[in-house]
Amino acid sequence: MIRSKELDQQKLDSFETQALGYADQLYRVALRLCRNREKAEDLVQETFLQAWRSFHRFELGTNLRAWLYKIMFNVHYSNQRRDRLQLIPTEETIAETLAYDPPTPQHLTEEEILAALEKLPRDFQIPILLADVEELSYREIADVLEIPIGTVMSRLHRGRKILRTDLVKYAREAGYKLSS
Amino acid sequence: MDCRNYKELLDSYLCQELAVETNHQMLNHAEYCPKCRAEMASRRNMRDALRRACFKECLSQTALDRMRAQLHAEAFSLESSQKTNAPNWLEKLFSPRILVPVFSVIVVLAIGISVYLKTSSSQSKASPLSELLLTEAASDHQKCATHFALSTEVAFMPDSAEKYDEVYRGLDLVAKSGASGLTLRSAHVCKPDNRQFAHLVYTRGKNLISLLVTKRDGKSLQTGELTPLGTELAELEESTNGALSIGARQTSKHIVLVISDLPQPENEKLAKTLALPVVEHISRIDRLTAHALNLKHQNIIASMRRREMK
Repeated sequence: MIRSKELDQQKLDSFETQALGYADQLYRVALRLCRNREKAEDLVQETFLQAWRSFHRFELGTNLRAWLYKIMFNVHYSNQRRDRLQLIPTEETIAETLAYDPPTPQHLTEEEILAALEKLPRDFQIPILLADVEELSYREIADVLEIPIGTVMSRLHRGRKILRTDLVKYAREAGYKLSS
Repeated sequence: MDCRNYKELLDSYLCQELAVETNHQMLNHAEYCPKCRAEMASRRNMRDALRRACFKECLSQTALDRMRAQLHAEAFSLESSQKTNAPNWLEKLFSPRILVPVFSVIVVLAIGISVYLKTSSSQSKASPLSELLLTEAASDHQKCATHFALSTEVAFMPDSAEKYDEVYRGLDLVAKSGASGLTLRSAHVCKPDNRQFAHLVYTRGKNLISLLVTKRDGKSLQTGELTPLGTELAELEESTNGALSIGARQTSKHIVLVISDLPQPENEKLAKTLALPVVEHISRIDRLTAHALNLKHQNIIASMRRREMK
């Protein structure tokens, strides 16, 4: 018993060392998925519990971060089904209306940029967060969200355009200078 | 590469998603185009500002502590070990739909067998213990007890020990009345070879003493067959294994062994006092039906704990 307890402790230590370092990264994405701090904390907690239960299936040396994200999205989607909530539909049409490539405004504050990100439809917001903030590769994002890599690229492209368009509007109203 | 292409590819460039060739073309273009250079700087600034803003959002320390606590609880609970190790078919097999009827059949069979055993042979004698059991017990004393000989922190028997055998729970408390003059070093469940023991490790001066409890089965008896034991308690059986002295007593379902490096007469004397409360306690439990067992056992342990607190 003592031996097995020691082994459990070693396994848990190894899990905590490797996985808990990603807690903040997961939390940032969970915040956008749940749009509520408490729910996001619960989602991250449930993700780590699920990950711990499946840790024996995780292959060492493979991408732990992407694996954790994937578990989190699965937990989130299954919670949504359980709560009978509707997924926010993809607002592809918003991006389609963007006929021009907006310039990138300068001198905006971090809060203003974050506020613009929060206004984005979730299908654009999550890939941008994963790519530009958490620095996942396009391939990793495609794996985590279970969508083709082409869709990831198009959502990033359109999402960034919408983000810049919003920021341009905001910058003009605030009287900031635009780069072009 | 023209300015339009450059802007199209700029975000992928910043994400390091472009091929080496395209990266060179981007850099070449930026070198000669101030507008595109400015656009790259703006987008990079925007990206950095977004990262800085997002990085302020961290999981609170309270949430992190709660999560660690939950993970710890999950890791050391029985449910967790079943969930982590059991494959899907095993989980299905242990679903209530299958488990309830199977359990009912087992309970009925167990009651039938216990009634049969009681009526068929109430006065039969205890069979001598097998060499295998004595060797395993002596080996456990040598391998396991020596680890705890100098232990300064006493490890008490955890309540979770009952998952191995219901009689294991609170065994250190039960044995306390017979262990005067002995210092408890550890109480745990161990399985050094093929046999599981509840193991109480004591010291008296420089002497190391083990009290072991294990299941009474065919392999533990010399005859190789599990002969029923009478309702009266079996006498103390004395033997040696190398330099170790062993005293053993049997109940209908368990064997209690006291092992030490004391001379045999001294060990015999010690075994009588040390094993007595344990043997009485276990045979009381052995006689209880499965239905009454849980409640009764909980009451016994709770009353001992209360006495201990006083």
